[in-house]
Amino acid sequence: MNLTRAKKICFIFSLSFLILISDSVQKTSFAADIGNCLLCHKYPGLSRVDEEGRMRLFFINESIYNNGVHAKVKCEGCHTDITEIPHKAAKKVDCLVECHIIEPTTETKFSHKDVATFIKTSVHGKVDKIGNDKKFSEDYPSCKDCHDEPLYRPLSFFKKVRPGISEASLGRCRVCHKKDDFIYQFYNHVTTRLHKSRNPLNIAEMCGRCHDDSSLVTRHGLSTKAVFSYGETFHGKAATFLDERVPDCLDCHVNKGESVHQMLSHKDPLSSIHETNKGKVCATIDCHPSASPKLANYGVHSEFNLTQSPAQYFFTFFFIVLTGGTLLPLMGIIFLDLVRRFFPHATIGRRK
Amino acid sequence: MKNFFFKIYMLVFMALVVFFMVIIWKVTFAHILHEYHERHKTQEITKFKEQREQKPDKTKFEKVILESEERVKNYLGYRILEEVRIKGHFHHIGFDIGPDNRSYCIKCHGDMPHDAVKELRAFLNMHAFFVGCETCHVKLGDSNKTGVFKWYDRTTGEIVASPVKRGSPGSFKAKIIPFEKSGGAIQRVDSEERINFSLEYKQNEKTLSEGQKSRAKKLIHQIVSKQPYICEDCHQKERPLLPLENIGYPRERIDSITSTEVVGMIKNYTKFYMPKMLLPGDEAKKQ
Amino acid sequence: MEKYPAIKIKDGQKYFYRFSLNQRIQHFILAFTIVILVLTGMPLKFNEASWAPYLYSLFGGIQYAPTVHKVNGAILVGLFFYHIFYLIYVIRKYYIEPAKKKGALKKFGALKIVLTQKMAPNLKDAYDIRDLMKYLLFLTAKRPDGDEMTWKEKFDYWAPFWGMVVIGASGVILWNKELFTQILPGGVLNFLLIAHSDEALLAALFLFIWHWYNVHFSISVFPMGTVFLTGYLSEELMVEEHYQHYVDVMKKAGLEHEILPPHGAHGHESPEGGASS
Repeated sequence: MNLTRAKKICFIFSLSFLILISDSVQKTSFAADIGNCLLCHKYPGLSRVDEEGRMRLFFINESIYNNGVHAKVKCEGCHTDITEIPHKAAKKVDCLVECHIIEPTTETKFSHKDVATFIKTSVHGKVDKIGNDKKFSEDYPSCKDCHDEPLYRPLSFFKKVRPGISEASLGRCRVCHKKDDFIYQFYNHVTTRLHKSRNPLNIAEMCGRCHDDSSLVTRHGLSTKAVFSYGETFHGKAATFLDERVPDCLDCHVNKGESVHQMLSHKDPLSSIHETNKGKVCATIDCHPSASPKLANYGVHSEFNLTQSPAQYFFTFFFIVLTGGTLLPLMGIIFLDLVRRFFPHATIGRRK
Repeated sequence: MKNFFFKIYMLVFMALVVFFMVIIWKVTFAHILHEYHERHKTQEITKFKEQREQKPDKTKFEKVILESEERVKNYLGYRILEEVRIKGHFHHIGFDIGPDNRSYCIKCHGDMPHDAVKELRAFLNMHAFFVGCETCHVKLGDSNKTGVFKWYDRTTGEIVASPVKRGSPGSFKAKIIPFEKSGGAIQRVDSEERINFSLEYKQNEKTLSEGQKSRAKKLIHQIVSKQPYICEDCHQKERPLLPLENIGYPRERIDSITSTEVVGMIKNYTKFYMPKMLLPGDEAKKQ
Repeated sequence: MEKYPAIKIKDGQKYFYRFSLNQRIQHFILAFTIVILVLTGMPLKFNEASWAPYLYSLFGGIQYAPTVHKVNGAILVGLFFYHIFYLIYVIRKYYIEPAKKKGALKKFGALKIVLTQKMAPNLKDAYDIRDLMKYLLFLTAKRPDGDEMTWKEKFDYWAPFWGMVVIGASGVILWNKELFTQILPGGVLNFLLIAHSDEALLAALFLFIWHWYNVHFSISVFPMGTVFLTGYLSEELMVEEHYQHYVDVMKKAGLEHEILPPHGAHGHESPEGGASS
């Protein structure tokens, strides 16, 4: 499952439909731009090449930003070092900053700090249990390696479940709530959270940026190019056809009910994919409810090569040989047959 | 006749059969052989793993330049958002604007050419997105000044109607180019002649002597004025350099471009950085 | 079986009985389901290919295509069992029972009857292949005299037969993986998946290349063989492929004087040759 794969996919039948409803979603106005940052940042060319030779783009696409989870956060909420216009080169955003948004249930300022504590103890943390840097700690991901601006993926539950916003539901919201801005935001927020915030294919691609990088895989002694081998299973194949229902990496590798940031190594007894817990992964109510723990014995990450899964390799080998061994001689006969019919009278032997 | 067609048919079919045999050979036995050799290669590679780690298998150019741009599709269910993915970039871009095929300046200078003044370069690059280089960097004399500016399409290079009312600010697929008087006629500054001259220079660069190179560069940059037009030349209400109304800006956009907000900010910038901007690149960096 | 005359004469042309209506319907279901199965299965196997999403969406995409695949698979498995039943029935009724009545059924007689069925491979097939190679390499002008079922047809029969066992069984298990892994370890599914998809590819290529060449694309039948629709084969083709059987049938029908010469000899006489039938 390579990344260019994404280019190829196209839902012919549903595309026109998708465009139709997409209009209805992009209605919200940009309320958070109190500092009038967009005065300049709405221009796509606002960019430069930085000292390290990387391209830096300072453009904000307003309509897309408004459909992102941070639409209500003003720019200075994350870019805290910017207090005046004109401003100097901004510092890197600290994702753990306490922003001005109030978390409604505790009425404290909102922050992603908990994520950092989750990550620290997870397999992706940069330090080990004692607090020393892990080997090759620079390879471990930071926030932006997995996240770009998360976009809403609203769902409609009105008559059937489908992606997008249900105008009919909005009508109900409007009975009590007067601000359309709020309604859209709230609707988007809740319905996005009710399902996967990213499509399984997007998740797989994201993990694959590191887990399919063969130099990283060898360096960290991982047993598989995880997304490649996932792509060999039915789950992965269905994901390339944009199935939303198939499990992606996160569904199996994280304990149900926990944050995806709490992913653990398969050697950790608390991990969902530890030998003792694996059986329960497949048999969840949403997946294969009647499955026995034996189903989890399925090699979800087998690559069909000699080193990683020799038995499967030879099994495949047998079929490859069988295919070639059957078809090539038969096609040879077809070819000879054509030649023979092309020269029907050119017999070397004695003619009658 | 029927016989003849059958002969053709048979020849075509023979070719087809051979074609499919090659394919099947490739995916079966050839695949096995290939894999066998590959495996031996990887074993050798692991043997010399340490050496390999010192020697990156990709050239730096490939890694830094070619791999830096990747396209992604975000499947949002109700729509698919396709865009370029810049590594480490958090916000979504959301659309593509093709390269400028007309401008011969960016063939050498790239499309983010402004680099000298740290505080302004992003602004200048932003303008370079929809303002042709010549608009600011060519100061026409009184004899060939026309005051005419038009939009040209980034892809085809042709003069097009003003895109301002259609696109969102700055995301037009067109750029502004000035016109000059030349022998009585009016022509665009980026004339075919100039384009061909610079392209020819670029093609033959390797074969030229140092002296020839200097001459060619001098000639190419002949029309470039040492001091470009500056922000306030356009961002002013009285006599802006660009005839904003003529090039299709609606009233409210003109008001916004020349508003106190923008002009005031420019004044702020001018106070701090403009002296630097007017210095040649290297000196500006030193300051 | 007796309903069908061995030779039908239509517009002065002789047509020779090959397949009963029951067999033709079986073949039609087989062909139809296999085409659908291939069309809904291959996009999954080659999901990275550019054509895969388009082909798949023709069958309703990931939401419905797997169901289409399973339904067709179920029909095919059903057909397979029906065919087995049909075989047993036919062999009992037309071979074993008459032999019993005659009292000629000896020890292992039933087995012998099964093994000497016209679809069972025998030594003559080996000779025929040898002779065909001689013919194809221009060593002789004579095509092998095929019996009622030639080695090609036996191949066409037994290859999908084996394929159906492998693909059908693995398909059913993969479909009901929750049930079967109550006993089987999940790792078996990996192998079944390989077997299912690789064997399917082989079967599809075999049918679409070899079988279709022989029955449709070969110039003696091009553009389309009709025996799968009518059940009767033209005299020309009968001579070309089943000469031995042809002579038998003609003799039985008392038409000895109308027997055509074998294919090669016939071609030698006419400049058109066998090449343009």
